Amino acid sequence: MAKGFFTDTTVCIGCKACEVACKQWNQLPDDGMVFTGMSYDNTGYLGGSTWRHVSFVERPVPMGGADTAGMAWLMMSDVCKHCQRAGCLENCPTGAILRTEFDTVYVQPDICNGCGYCVVGCPFGVIDRLKDDGRAWKCTLCYDRLKEEMEPACAKACPTDSIIFGEIEELRGKARLRVEQLHESGVKEAYLYGEDAQSQPGTGGLNAFFLLTDKPEVYNLPPAPVVPTKKGGEAWVSAGLASLGLLLAAAGAVLGSRK
Amino acid sequence: MSGNRDGRRIDEARGILEGAGSHQRIEQSGDYPSTPAPATYAQVPGVDAADPTYYGQAVLKQPVWIWSIPAYFYTGGVAGAAAMLGAAAHLIEPRGMCGLVTRCRWISAGGAMLSTALLIHDLGRPMRFLYMLRVFRPTSPMSVGSWVLTGFGGAAAGSAVLPGAWGTFAGQVAGLLGMPLASYTAVLLSHTAIPLWQEARRTMPFLFIGSAISASAAALEFGRLSEREERAVTVFAVAGSVMELAGVAAVERETGRVPQVAKPLREGATGALWTAAKVLSATSLVLTLIPGKSQRMRKVSGAVGTLASIAIRFAIFHAGKRSAADPRATFHLQRSE
Repeated sequence: MAKGFFTDTTVCIGCKACEVACKQWNQLPDDGMVFTGMSYDNTGYLGGSTWRHVSFVERPVPMGGADTAGMAWLMMSDVCKHCQRAGCLENCPTGAILRTEFDTVYVQPDICNGCGYCVVGCPFGVIDRLKDDGRAWKCTLCYDRLKEEMEPACAKACPTDSIIFGEIEELRGKARLRVEQLHESGVKEAYLYGEDAQSQPGTGGLNAFFLLTDKPEVYNLPPAPVVPTKKGGEAWVSAGLASLGLLLAAAGAVLGSRK
Repeated sequence: MSGNRDGRRIDEARGILEGAGSHQRIEQSGDYPSTPAPATYAQVPGVDAADPTYYGQAVLKQPVWIWSIPAYFYTGGVAGAAAMLGAAAHLIEPRGMCGLVTRCRWISAGGAMLSTALLIHDLGRPMRFLYMLRVFRPTSPMSVGSWVLTGFGGAAAGSAVLPGAWGTFAGQVAGLLGMPLASYTAVLLSHTAIPLWQEARRTMPFLFIGSAISASAAALEFGRLSEREERAVTVFAVAGSVMELAGVAAVERETGRVPQVAKPLREGATGALWTAAKVLSATSLVLTLIPGKSQRMRKVSGAVGTLASIAIRFAIFHAGKRSAADPRATFHLQRSE
């Protein structure tokens, strides 16, 4: 049973209840009190101890279907995407990162040796290694809660149901319906980001997908992310050919030294 | 352990630390984990409609690797290429080049040991280094590389210390494994989301192999060799330097397709390091080609070749880090495909 999130950014009010619920349930340490100047976003980014992050974009662009005085304020609760083709998982050399029975991607803290290869493997910049802890951490999609048939803490806490938890197939249906509804009411900009393999072949689709109303870049999402494994074949072919170069250079050096 | 000063502020008399993140080790000295605070955004928030970013924030995480990783690219390359040269010399001239074969074997054995130490030093949990051999995952170049380095290290050590036929056999195995050892590190870098490294995936293996060959030849310049062996090392060094310089040009060409991706190789400190690497590499080639060098000149040539290889690895490494910090490198690359 594939579980995941559908995050509808059009109803997000930026309350950050998801961030708080995540920290509380998972007993994550705080990240310090900083002021960034980036609208209401003083969290900054997802990281080893920040598994939900609400981004805020104030921009002088009107939103369709409503009189917004030429302004629109976008808010999006970002999270690990639990990709179908997960860069972190496919790069992990220890087997610490695995796919659970809920089709989510989970890092086993008792196995991770902190090699850092998942950090560069993630095309979304989600997973990170904590300096003091030495291991890599990210959203578990509340693996412990799922096992008890509870919904993840962030979805539970979301007051507007911007974050909807459920079975992927069901979520896709809901999401498509919502896009249609928004288009009818004049929000022509609405579209789904990463809802299946067709819309995002590079990752095979996301188990945590989004409804957005502007370019992905505006929300700091990559426009066409690709799992490194999909391009790795070309590197291995070159490595094979280059290795033959080494063989030839060595044999040539020995033979060439004859008088 | 926990309590009020660990950034969780959970009173253990009232709350049990059982959450998924409750065992994250954080600095006991301060209240907060050491993740850097985002830089304050000073401009009026707004979006550049044509080429937007999120307040200029990085979309990717910075690689957490430290200096020991590019240093390993150098030591692993030297070990792999030296093992290959030693194996070829022993196979083609079983008796004529004993001195060179012995040196190659010791360089490959020492290089493998140093490489392992450098890799363990970089781990967030060094005591768990053996977990690298817990599984074999073909989709992970790091897993493949861990197994290659393990096999290579055993074979190279065997070739250095085992007598007679056993030593010969171990030397041949080390030579064979030297090929993937010297080249997989380029795949390791390309197999990431970092724009510069990913974009250089077709050409970086040639650069790394060329650099490994010239660096191992440079290392051999430091010891006394027979006249014939010196000639062999010179041919090896020339082949390596030519491949290295061709690789540099090829990487620049391949990454240059998207200007924003190649920017760190052209500008700033990383660009300067890259230029220095190119100059060192070309100088090394010129020095190698001078005929009838004195022992002292050989050492100078070896030093320049060594520096060239090290500079190339560090330039690629740090330029990649900078391209990870630039959201537009990622965005432009993905929009161009």
